[in-house]
Amino acid sequence: MKIMSAAPVEAEKNQPAERWEQQLRKGSLEMAALAALWPGRLYGLEIIRRFEDSSQLALAEGTIYPILSRLKNEGLLASEWVEAEAGHPRKYYWLTAAGRARLKHMATTWTEFSRELGRLIKPVIEAQKEKEEAMK
Amino acid sequence: MNPSKEQELQIDNYLSKFRACLPAMSVADREEIVREISVHIRESAQEPNGSVDRILLRLGPAEALASQYEQDRLIQRASRSVSPLLILRATLELGKRGAQGFAVFFGVIIGYALGGGLVLTAILKPIFPRQTGLWIGPGVFDFGVHFPSPADPVHEVLGWWYIPVAFWLGAFFVWLTTYGIRRFLRRSRQHAPLFARAQMGMVV
Repeated sequence: MKIMSAAPVEAEKNQPAERWEQQLRKGSLEMAALAALWPGRLYGLEIIRRFEDSSQLALAEGTIYPILSRLKNEGLLASEWVEAEAGHPRKYYWLTAAGRARLKHMATTWTEFSRELGRLIKPVIEAQKEKEEAMK
Repeated sequence: MNPSKEQELQIDNYLSKFRACLPAMSVADREEIVREISVHIRESAQEPNGSVDRILLRLGPAEALASQYEQDRLIQRASRSVSPLLILRATLELGKRGAQGFAVFFGVIIGYALGGGLVLTAILKPIFPRQTGLWIGPGVFDFGVHFPSPADPVHEVLGWWYIPVAFWLGAFFVWLTTYGIRRFLRRSRQHAPLFARAQMGMVV
């Protein structure tokens, strides 16, 4: 007889929600990478560390480098190797004019989208808060 | 802290495997990517609590990391190419990633099969003149090679005109499929909404 523990059943139940969260994060990574470079040039590890400051953007490190490579191939980023006096050479990235324009467009779209979505889910959030307060 | 000899070997093994999984790009591009990953590992290892095992785990298997670069390059090359083979490979990748990608792959197969089939029958017409053509009859509208040739009242209507008509129509379908997919790949890379891109697997 096959005995299944409760944990995998719970995990299976949560799978669609986790997948959705994962897709939400992945879908916004490109914009996050461009936004991280808005103030100035950074190298890969610095971008990763900047993402790590926000738990919502923490990601497997292997994800960011292919994204940077793709953005560079699309002409949205430029890069150059800078030899460090001590330590390893670093590949710095910065936004091109096309990258800045794309990021502005993305930021506008994202803001409008999240505002509309926020309005739609407001009753859900409020109901959740009321339930939590009632439980206290 | 600098990696130990054992850790250096572990890093070298990872990078060798990673390099071997990037065969479809120029040496310069490949070496630049490998160099960047190499620097990432070595610099992360020097951070406090920088464990090589943990760094490699966070980078993911060398094959999976390489496939992110490879798939992306493949789709990018296909969006600029006129090679049906490259376009088929790129759409096959999309097909593996979800229903929308599979629909695109299916569309490409239909387009190329139809176009290629018409061109092939144009070539076969001089070899099998009585069996190849556009066949019309009661409830029948068909083109291609039929063995034996259909009997009355189904008859072939184009004669030798079948060769230029089938050839140009076939070429048109191949062209339409190629440019349609190129356009789709470019648009999906540049303009697709963020979430749709994730679902399409454009961001992996």
